Amino acid sequence: MKISAAAQHWIVPVALLVAWEVCGDTALLPRYLPPPSQILAALHEVAADGELLQAASISLYRVVLGFALGTGVGMFVGLAAGLVPSIRHLFDPLVSFLYAVPKIAFLPIFLLLFGLGQESKIAITAFSCSFPVFIASRHAALSVGKHLVWAARNMGARGSTIFFRVFVPTTAPQLFSGARIGLANSFVILFAAELIGSRGGLGVLISEGEDAARFDLMFAGIITFAVLGFAADRILMTIRRHVLRGQIIGTAEQLVR
Amino acid sequence: MMAQMATRILRGVERWYSIPLLLLLWQAAVGSGLVESRLLPSLLRVWTVLVKDTANGVLPYHTAITLGRAATGFALAAIAGVPFAAAMARSTVIRNLFEPIFFFGYPVPKIAFFPVFTYIFGIGSPSKIAFAFLECIYPIVVTAYLGFRAIPQLLIWAGENMGARPATIIRRVVFPAAMPGIFTGLRIALPVSIIVIVLTEMIGDSKGLGYYIAVSGTRFEYANVYAAILVIGMCGFVLDRALLSVRDKSVYWERDEEAIRF
Repeated sequence: MKISAAAQHWIVPVALLVAWEVCGDTALLPRYLPPPSQILAALHEVAADGELLQAASISLYRVVLGFALGTGVGMFVGLAAGLVPSIRHLFDPLVSFLYAVPKIAFLPIFLLLFGLGQESKIAITAFSCSFPVFIASRHAALSVGKHLVWAARNMGARGSTIFFRVFVPTTAPQLFSGARIGLANSFVILFAAELIGSRGGLGVLISEGEDAARFDLMFAGIITFAVLGFAADRILMTIRRHVLRGQIIGTAEQLVR
Repeated sequence: MMAQMATRILRGVERWYSIPLLLLLWQAAVGSGLVESRLLPSLLRVWTVLVKDTANGVLPYHTAITLGRAATGFALAAIAGVPFAAAMARSTVIRNLFEPIFFFGYPVPKIAFFPVFTYIFGIGSPSKIAFAFLECIYPIVVTAYLGFRAIPQLLIWAGENMGARPATIIRRVVFPAAMPGIFTGLRIALPVSIIVIVLTEMIGDSKGLGYYIAVSGTRFEYANVYAAILVIGMCGFVLDRALLSVRDKSVYWERDEEAIRF
């Protein structure tokens, strides 16, 4: 019997879920691993009383604002660094030094600067997000072929035309991959910041579930956070596909979808 | 000769001036009293703390723990991930079975599952190493897989045509051709391992640099926070350089032009 490729894709995830459910129902699993059906019930419970929506919207607000700020700043400075050598020399040592430092390490400083509220979470999310965006934009600006710019100039294009018709299209794929890593970073750092200390948000919902030994609630929060992160990435990739129509054919990215 | 030396010095200054400049600005900001000194301790204080905690063994102790955990998670992910990526690239069944796990799982913020890890593996090292493994294996598998997939079929045909056995082809054609992809994945995963370990140590532990930062932060000892950040930055920088030089030695035919080099 031949199983189609699409069906094969589902085998491992479905088998895992079924095994989890069966083991959970027969009490083979420890209490902290409630079966999927219980998690779904808990999801329904927190969704019905509005707690989930409130927590999710707080987290989402922080992550979206942080991501937008971080991407904006990272792109602007990164492109400038790619175009202007002295700006590049200013930022390169700093960025490569700080790159392997978890940005969450700056949390105590951000807390002191921006207080315990929303602002510190948004600021540290933006900070963390801006690094990969900066690096990608810097590379993108550097890799724009001089011949393209010369050719455009030769044909009498003005500076703004060159920027929008030559520069932006050639750098766009790399800008998007930078933004994608930045988006992933934003979710990670926000989760850690919320777990370490915050008022409201999914991280708090999860640690509350943990403290009350309501592991189904904890999982409900975890699943929501994971789904939000996944959905945000998909949205960014959809935008990217529309912006880059035709530019990604035949590249490795087609494999990744 | 003199002119050559002068240009070299000038280029060195041009490349490195930003770090002394930043330190100078820092010192000026603290010295003029513009910034609250609690938030931005003077460089001297950071340096004193760094020397003191290095001399009495506190920082080396926490650093060794953090690096040991990060290295274990990273190494496990590399050992498991690269052969797995090769298998995924070569076998349709394995590819169909596991592609969704890696490609759909890639954008999922895995940090959300860390609380579960602490329940399964306990609060200490094992949960952190397991989590670093999980975070590292994604970039390693995905980039190595793309590297293996991108091998030109012509190279394999050429090898077969010249009478090479399958084992020889894998050793002499497939692995060298995929090497750049493998190293790209490893270079993404290396800082990830350090970041993830420090992050999880900040969430909850009693040792490691993450713990050191979290505790110093709650005690308002910001000089210690900066000292730890310096140590992590240095470790990450040195490890990345080391990996890059290993890469340049083993992939001697192709330089990674994207890397920021000095």
